[in-house]
Amino acid sequence: MCYNVGNMPGENETIIRLEGLTKRYGYGDAASFALKDFDLTVKRGEFIMIMGPSGCGKTTLLNIIGLLDTATSGAYYLNDEPVSRISARRQARLRAKKIGFIFQNFNLIPDLPIIENVSLPLVYSGYHKTRRLIKASEALDRFNLKEKEYYMPFQLSGGQQQRAAIARAIVAKPEIILADEPTGNLDSHSSTLVMEELKRIHSEGNTIIMVTHNPSLTVYATRVINMLDGAIDTDVKTVKDSDLPVRVEEKTKKHKKKNKKKRGRR
Amino acid sequence: MLLRTHLELAKSSLRQNRTRSFLTTLGIGIGVASIILILSLMGSISSLVASQVSQIGQDLIVVRPSATKDTVTSIVDELTSSTQYLKSNLTMKDVATIARLDNVASVAPLAVSVNSLRGENLVPSATVVGTTADFIKIQNLTLKSGTFLREDTKTNTAVIGAGLANELYGTGEPIGKTLQLLGSKFIIVGVLSKVDDPINFNNLDLDQCLFVSANALNEIDNSLQIQQINIRAANTDGLKETIDLIRETLVTAKSGDTNFKVLSGEEITHPAGTLFSIISGILSIVAGISLVVGGIGVMNIMLVSVAERTHEIGVRKAVGASFSNIFMQFLLEALILTLLGGILGLVLGYGVAFGLCLITPFNPYISWEILVIAFLTSFVVGVIFGLYPALKAAGKNPIYSLKFWG
Repeated sequence: MCYNVGNMPGENETIIRLEGLTKRYGYGDAASFALKDFDLTVKRGEFIMIMGPSGCGKTTLLNIIGLLDTATSGAYYLNDEPVSRISARRQARLRAKKIGFIFQNFNLIPDLPIIENVSLPLVYSGYHKTRRLIKASEALDRFNLKEKEYYMPFQLSGGQQQRAAIARAIVAKPEIILADEPTGNLDSHSSTLVMEELKRIHSEGNTIIMVTHNPSLTVYATRVINMLDGAIDTDVKTVKDSDLPVRVEEKTKKHKKKNKKKRGRR
Repeated sequence: MLLRTHLELAKSSLRQNRTRSFLTTLGIGIGVASIILILSLMGSISSLVASQVSQIGQDLIVVRPSATKDTVTSIVDELTSSTQYLKSNLTMKDVATIARLDNVASVAPLAVSVNSLRGENLVPSATVVGTTADFIKIQNLTLKSGTFLREDTKTNTAVIGAGLANELYGTGEPIGKTLQLLGSKFIIVGVLSKVDDPINFNNLDLDQCLFVSANALNEIDNSLQIQQINIRAANTDGLKETIDLIRETLVTAKSGDTNFKVLSGEEITHPAGTLFSIISGILSIVAGISLVVGGIGVMNIMLVSVAERTHEIGVRKAVGASFSNIFMQFLLEALILTLLGGILGLVLGYGVAFGLCLITPFNPYISWEILVIAFLTSFVVGVIFGLYPALKAAGKNPIYSLKFWG
């Protein structure tokens, strides 16, 4: 069952809003556009799969959303705050606390043991070393890698490395997880494991934006966007906005609010 | 807390390249060690001369012919060149004039020449000092045997330093033996006890000198002049007045000639102190060059490290590192390298200084100033040579860095 975008009013608030986003490389005759007048609204709790041919601007889009790159023109609102007004220092802090990255080639630092790789976002969130390691250990435990905490990345299989990378992406409990072809370098078994992990993370109310070339993975998504030449070709939602998962913390908040109201009535 | 995290990161990345880190540290260590060694030895020499003056006493006054200009070259000339002997305008008359003044206990001229001596052996160039009987009192010297020079003797007598006695006669007891100096015969009447201070305000190694009467020496060597007059005041209370009196009296006696200096206390060691400062300054510059070379080594290694870790920088930026986070991480790495180099240099420098002390008369001079200089130089070298690599690392584009596999 498919729902047309914008037709159904959702309960979850908008977390990302892109308006007329353009990314140009080069000038004059040599100019090429990775993104052209790109509009997108992402609700909290969505699991978006972005597909499209190579060079259509998927990774550029992910980099801009992840505050690693800036658009040539257009506006990007993160939690209704224009990103252009956020200082580089705060953008870095947002990357540490609100955004988690998962890469195709895992991008673990080869000289650091797995636990220290996983704890990296916490380093820049201001956590004390002991607290960092406890949290990283908990994250690794969740992905059945606890016994490999002090292994070096090269001692792990591709699937295990990607699970460690996912643990790193979620260790700081970010609101948005950006995954750039996370199964691109994995065999089908490892791919399934990784996707199941992402599904689990999404079911906890996290927003995931994932770039993939594999159409079979779209079954995990709540929304599938096909890109072509830096613009959206098709955009299909498979889950109503109202049915999107809510984050555990928000559930708790809502629950507390309800109880307060009830007590007030009494 | 953030600084602690940066330190942890810097330490862990240095630990990953132990050999490289050690060699870079060694480069800085050698530079710091040379500075420490120079400062320590120069400090030792200065304190040696200063302690000698304080040992001799605060009542010591020295008259020296003054250099025409108080420049670096004149100081070097004054201490090292024999031309200083020709410039002196001090005479035995001046010695007699000073001796008559109030508050002057004893006066001794120093007329130094270098001559060949023939005793039982030939010493081709020995230092011969023409002086008076008061010299032993002013200098606080003791005799091993015999007597010092006396004013009332008609014969040519000489007193010999312990070291020179051994060279000239092959024995430490040459009393009664004769020697030939510029064709004249001198009889040895006394031998000085061994003196172990080759560096002193007289610029003489007393152990290697022959002392004869200044008048006798003047008779056989007309060109001889007095380079210094040593005076001991009877009372230290009126020292300043005595100095002024000596100055005024000499100016009058010499018909207005003011080409001499009347010095007391630390001023006496000043020419030596200034020369050592110049030498230590020049040597420090040479050592500074080796420190700069070490610093370039640090920069080189840090730049290699930045290039090798471009991908890591990309990952760190992607997970939340800011410009200042990366900058601090790399700057602290450079600082740790240079500060460790500073500590290594301190140990090496003092190690070599102590080693040198076994074969030279110096004692290594340890002071908090030297420790601060060692710490500050390593810190400054770390900051200067770590700045550019740190800026380069921090300014890297995260997207390009993530694509880079070194």
